[in-house]
Amino acid sequence: MNIATQDGSRAPSRLSRLVTRHGRIAPALLFLAVFFVLPVSMLFGLSFLDSDGTLTLEHYQRLWDKPVYMKVLGITLKTAAWTTALCILGGYPIAYLLATVAKTTRARLTILVLMPFWTSFLVRTFAWIVLLGRKGAVNTFLLDIGVIEQPIKMIFNFTGVMIGMSHALMPLAVLTMLSVMEGIDANLSKAGSTMGARGGQTFWRVYFPLSVPGIAAGGMLVFITSLGFFITPALLGGARDSMIVQTIIFQIKEILNWGFAGAIGVLLMVAVLIIFFVYDKLLGLSTLSGGEAKRATSLSKNPIGYVGAQVGGMFTRGMGTLFEWIGLAIERIFPRRADKRHADSGRIAIWAVGLLMMAFLALPALFIIPVSFTESGFLGWPPQGFSLKWYQALADTPVWANAALRSFTVAILASSLGMLLGVPAAFMLARSSFSGKGAVFAFLVSPIIIPNIFIAVGLFFLYAKIGLVGTTIGLILGHTVLAIPYVVITVLAVVKGYDQNLDMAAFTLGANRKQTLLRVTLPMIRSGMIAAFMFAFIISFDELTIALFVTGGEVTTLPKQMWDDALLRVSPALAAVATLLLLFMSAFILVSEIIKRRAAKRS
Amino acid sequence: MTNSKSRNTRLGDVSRRAFLGTSVASAALLATPFIKPSWASERKITVRDPGGPFTAGFVQAYYEPFRAETGIEVIGIQGEHEPTGMIKAMIEAGNYTWDGALLSKSSHQSLVNLGYLEPIAPQGGPGPNLSEVPEDLRGEFILGNDVYATLIAYRTDVLGDNGPNSWADFWDIDKVPGARAMRKHPFDTMEQALLADGVAPADLYPLDFDRAFASLDKIKDSIDIWWTGGAQTSQLLNAGEVDLLPTWNGRAQVAVDEGAPVKLVWDGALYTYEGWTILKGTPNADLMREFIEFAAQGKQQALFTPHVAYGPTNPSAFEYIDPERAKVLPTNPAYLPKMVAVDTDFWGAHKDEAAERFEAWLLS
Repeated sequence: MNIATQDGSRAPSRLSRLVTRHGRIAPALLFLAVFFVLPVSMLFGLSFLDSDGTLTLEHYQRLWDKPVYMKVLGITLKTAAWTTALCILGGYPIAYLLATVAKTTRARLTILVLMPFWTSFLVRTFAWIVLLGRKGAVNTFLLDIGVIEQPIKMIFNFTGVMIGMSHALMPLAVLTMLSVMEGIDANLSKAGSTMGARGGQTFWRVYFPLSVPGIAAGGMLVFITSLGFFITPALLGGARDSMIVQTIIFQIKEILNWGFAGAIGVLLMVAVLIIFFVYDKLLGLSTLSGGEAKRATSLSKNPIGYVGAQVGGMFTRGMGTLFEWIGLAIERIFPRRADKRHADSGRIAIWAVGLLMMAFLALPALFIIPVSFTESGFLGWPPQGFSLKWYQALADTPVWANAALRSFTVAILASSLGMLLGVPAAFMLARSSFSGKGAVFAFLVSPIIIPNIFIAVGLFFLYAKIGLVGTTIGLILGHTVLAIPYVVITVLAVVKGYDQNLDMAAFTLGANRKQTLLRVTLPMIRSGMIAAFMFAFIISFDELTIALFVTGGEVTTLPKQMWDDALLRVSPALAAVATLLLLFMSAFILVSEIIKRRAAKRS
Repeated sequence: MTNSKSRNTRLGDVSRRAFLGTSVASAALLATPFIKPSWASERKITVRDPGGPFTAGFVQAYYEPFRAETGIEVIGIQGEHEPTGMIKAMIEAGNYTWDGALLSKSSHQSLVNLGYLEPIAPQGGPGPNLSEVPEDLRGEFILGNDVYATLIAYRTDVLGDNGPNSWADFWDIDKVPGARAMRKHPFDTMEQALLADGVAPADLYPLDFDRAFASLDKIKDSIDIWWTGGAQTSQLLNAGEVDLLPTWNGRAQVAVDEGAPVKLVWDGALYTYEGWTILKGTPNADLMREFIEFAAQGKQQALFTPHVAYGPTNPSAFEYIDPERAKVLPTNPAYLPKMVAVDTDFWGAHKDEAAERFEAWLLS
């Protein structure tokens, strides 16, 4: 069932293998034990105590007695599942397009995909209100041209939640899938065609199965990240769009019933672990090492995986056949002269869908730029007049520049530390086999399953003991906890898609371990590593809960400064901040791409 | 008063703190090199304030003049919206990032119930400034700083002269048509539902939740947006996304100041206050008391009102406030008698139950 053992046999002895293994994963485990398990277990421990400190199950009894908590949990899981489905469906064409265009085009298009990342979630959510509201830009436009007679209700309901959440999380899915797709050998599809498969058949029966690890990893990242969302659903949702994290935060911050908050947290964790278990069996994220469905050949060993593999096989075969029929039908209706032309029309369709999805991702960001030059005190469409006063306001208050600088520093250090700890762990998960691997994987990923507020409160108590409250280093360590899961999942996905025969070839040609790693393996999985770093960076850069708690508000980060400013209203100053960030990050990506190309030319 | 003293010493806190202590003790050993020095010896206090325009107003009204007079430096730090959880953590961990905090009366009540706040008056009793503040706008553990009202704000361009004048009007879809929003929280919403249903302000507390939910049932399907944050309401009002909604007067005022055709309804508005509190056990409690006595002066309170449209608690403040500005402040003597005071003691005991029922009601 596991391929990983076969290649591991290269390593000299069992003992040294054990050492390298623990050397790789131990730092990450130890780090999480101190800065995650210890703080969080405190709150989970409280869930078994009553307000007098005696052992009780009253909090769990309450969860059982009051159906509202199960209902909210159900809504949360439903919201996360739909978000995941939309992100994968919408993100796959983008990723496929990016994976199959020239490298320069890819770099430029990636900037569009990343746009949601650089517009802080507060600004982005308010941008949706201004765009999609009753009096919003889209409804006004549609009413003006006479397409509709009544405004369409696009937000303040479940649709609004889906728009906001899939927009925020789709880049995560795209980049994860892209990093796996980049490792797929284009010759395989060509071979499929040579052997007589048509476009649809080649894609569904050759390319798609190879991209499944990317879908599995991307889907999982989106799912667990969306469980922690509550601001977007609160601002764009309706009466019934409640998220369980909001309930936990309410208990911690307003009711001060930390025991009950802990119990809800345990409920959430148990639910997610069950889903995780089924998902893992189905898609084999923690055990699968190859791209295609090689696992689960036996019904008795892994029934879920077996059924999953069977269903998956039926799906790809079915889709292949379906697309073949569609192709044939189109040929009947529009007889074609040469084979080439057919391929072109498929390509056009992919471009069309891909660009449409990218427009969806870039739209709020592109909308924020003109809004930042408004004379009005609110975000609104169309912008009124032209003024630089919001930029002036930023320039006049050094707090903004300082906050931005601090956020960059914290995010870079936290994501670097996250990479140092997470990458070796991911390599080990991908390449060695040991018992309890699924559990180790679940553990490494759990910091994003547990709501941030638990980590925040727990870390505060820990930091209070060791003098880290109110320090930047404490903040960096806290954000590293969140960075590790993103790094592990993303790197794991690319390492799995990576053909280890390349390493073998390097060994055969006389390269040692280090040379192989630095000159063969890492360059091949480069884009996955960059994606991992970027996820870790943005998670830290946008994080507020831990930042507020562990610093007591003493360390001002950019998100904190934005919340501070948005107390009475969300002013266009925030749009100006978002615009500057957007320009800076996009320029940074373009310039680094140009430098890379120059360097490649010279060598 | 003696009653709250007895609540301060609860056995539960001891064992819970012991539990917290042991669970982090091992980690303490691992990270001892990073000990942060203590600044307690300096004459400096750190207070949590709501941030944004509040900080700007407080610097001018209190922080700067207080330092000029006493040499005590005041650092205003913005915490989160409801910082009670954070304060609980600070006190249980014995780590005073803040010495004091500006808290809503309701948040203060939650902490008083745990015994986590210091009395604001020195041992000899309240000073002369503190005594000028009416007793219903301060307490043993809090000095009211600013009164805020929850009221109906509506778009005059849509509703014209037919705007709502009461909570009953807000409930009356036929009389006052228009897109509505309400707060997704039982606070104030319960009171609004009962007042709309005809309960007299004097009979409001204890709140009859059953009757409140029955009243809410009548309007549930007519609510287009359930809002969750103050900045959201000013945006909705300014953009005309809704025509009428209950919000805090300060948030609606931002839209008015921006030129939006918005009117505030003071009749039947619900009011409560935010005030200065001292964290239990802070080494700077006496400096905080000095600060609070200073901040009770009407002359000083008047200085923050240009920044936020909330009402000063010392009546003498109005001697220093421009009459135009006084029109938008809740403690304006013209408004106060028409408004209904929120009973935070009631909420302190029923918040959890109300929130649970409210959530269940929303989902039903």
